[in-house]
Amino acid sequence: MSRVARLGAFIVATLAILAGGVFIIGSKAYLFRSTYQLRTQFDNVAGLAAGAGVQVGGVHSGTVHSIALPHRPGDKVIVLMDLDSSTHEIIKHDSVASIETEGLLGNQYLAISFGSAGQSDVREGDFIQSEPPLQMADLLTKASGILSSSQVAIGNVSQATAHLNSVSAKIDSGQGSVGALINDKELYSNLQRSTGSLDQTIVQAQAGVTDFRENMEALKQNFLLKGYFKKRGYEDSSELSAHAIDRLPQGAPAKAFTYLAKQLFGGHDSFKLQNQKSLNEGGDYLAKNPFGFAVVVVSSGLEGDSQKELELTEVRAMVIRKYLVEHFAFDDGQISTLGLGKQSAATSDADSGSIQLLIFPVGSEVPASEPTPEGVASRATIETPAQAKGGGSAKP
Amino acid sequence: MSNLAQTEIAAVRTQFPSPRSSALVSSAAKVVAEFFEWFGNLGIFAWQVARAAVTPPFEWHELVRQLDEVGSKSLPLVALAGSAIGVVISLEARYSLSRFGAKSLFPATLVYSVIQVMGPIITGLVVSGRVGAGIGAELASMKVTEQIDAIEACAINPYRFLAATRILACILMLPLLTLAADACGLLTGWFAQSLVEPLSFHQFIESGFQGATFNAFLPPTFKTAVYGLIIGLIACFQGMRTRGGAEGVGRAATNSVVLASLFLILADVVLVKFILVVFP
Repeated sequence: MSRVARLGAFIVATLAILAGGVFIIGSKAYLFRSTYQLRTQFDNVAGLAAGAGVQVGGVHSGTVHSIALPHRPGDKVIVLMDLDSSTHEIIKHDSVASIETEGLLGNQYLAISFGSAGQSDVREGDFIQSEPPLQMADLLTKASGILSSSQVAIGNVSQATAHLNSVSAKIDSGQGSVGALINDKELYSNLQRSTGSLDQTIVQAQAGVTDFRENMEALKQNFLLKGYFKKRGYEDSSELSAHAIDRLPQGAPAKAFTYLAKQLFGGHDSFKLQNQKSLNEGGDYLAKNPFGFAVVVVSSGLEGDSQKELELTEVRAMVIRKYLVEHFAFDDGQISTLGLGKQSAATSDADSGSIQLLIFPVGSEVPASEPTPEGVASRATIETPAQAKGGGSAKP
Repeated sequence: MSNLAQTEIAAVRTQFPSPRSSALVSSAAKVVAEFFEWFGNLGIFAWQVARAAVTPPFEWHELVRQLDEVGSKSLPLVALAGSAIGVVISLEARYSLSRFGAKSLFPATLVYSVIQVMGPIITGLVVSGRVGAGIGAELASMKVTEQIDAIEACAINPYRFLAATRILACILMLPLLTLAADACGLLTGWFAQSLVEPLSFHQFIESGFQGATFNAFLPPTFKTAVYGLIIGLIACFQGMRTRGGAEGVGRAATNSVVLASLFLILADVVLVKFILVVFP
């Protein structure tokens, strides 16, 4: 390699390094990009210097060109910055400039927030709003304020603790009512005695309630009140559901007897049997033939209050069951009642409802009675086998 | 001897210092005079070189030879010195920065240390050692063998032919050598760091030059032209005023290096302050 060539290579190489450095720094200072200038003003720039970075949305997008002190005491410090042209679409008139610090002790830089969509564009040399910088000194003042108020709070807490201490000491030494409660054995034995006598009282009260029930029973048999219960058809409301089931068992009945309520009971809301003889056929069947299970199903017509009609059907079913059990010889555990309440068009007589005696063959499953709140509703929607057959009941 | 005579002698002795102390004063005065004389001669020499350098004919061929001598041939040495400095700063800076929890400032610390301080001064000292001694010894041996007189007899201005070309070569080459030293220092600094803790070169450059300005880069680099002037001027001056044979040559070479390095560091004090004031 000749001397000149070697020298040339050296010069070219080192100048390339120079160019590289110039371009690296130049790109940081936005010297080789198209820029525009904006201005903002602060009361205090907190040490921001010319050449500091400008970040838009956290992206380095420009540099502080110069900082000028005001000429009059009332004015503000003006910061002139060069911004990359690409930020022109983001920075609007309502963008806000603020002075931030990288880390706790790092360089200071200017941060500009995005503008709102509707705002007008900024032009070369425009002023944008600013936010006063957060300075360490301010932060320390605030922190010391917080510290002193927390000191007061801690003082209060320790006072409260001291009070608590004296209170618990008093309790421990048996002073005051709480102290007595905790420390006095007599109080405990008193309490024990009271509990014992309370037990006795409860036993006595239970005996009193039993007596009262017996008295009430006697009263029902009294001639003054007997008429009412007789008219009502049952003495105790628990009788109504004693043999009631919720729904009919699965499977078809072996035999069904159907009666009109009008025939059996006469009046619309009566539950005294008038024409008992017509039940004898069913009773005879029960007495003479082996069967698994029988149900007295009673429904009423569409007239009247639903709740009352439901009660009426239950009472009627009970009355019929009672008649059958009393007059015919069969196992009374095998017969149940089912009051359906109001049923639409169950029989030809929509007025007063119908009565069915359904007899199921041997081996039929007895449906478990479930006293649920929906019992009434489910009972009301059950189709009787007669209905399922389209009203054509299998008359014997 | 009478008392009166003794008194008179004592008076005379106090009036005139002893021969020993007078020799001390005269030698001190001689040193001071030599010091100023040296500066005066340097000034005259600098003036003659400057005048010779700006008047034609220009010694282009000799200039290229000297540029090669000072520039390209110093490059390996300067690159090696710069690389070593990069590694040293990398090791030192990481240790001290991590003690302050400011590890993220490492790239910036390395870039600023190398570009602003260590690159220029190390280049100056290395070149003053290599080139200053070479020029001093070369010119001194030409002087003692009366070659310079022979050149002058050929109607060639030795200031133009010998001194101006060398000084100009130093002035032009030192900034370029500094750039090479900076580049090597940054590369090896990054390399040393990434061996310990992975750091991409791109990120290193990005965060190292964060907030860097031309004032942080160009003045410290081009101030080394002043170093070049000092090295070239002192080495040529020491070489061309040599007296005596081989001993004088050795003295000239030593003085060139010592004085050039000393003035270079002293000049740096002034230059740093000057740059801080003029290029804030």
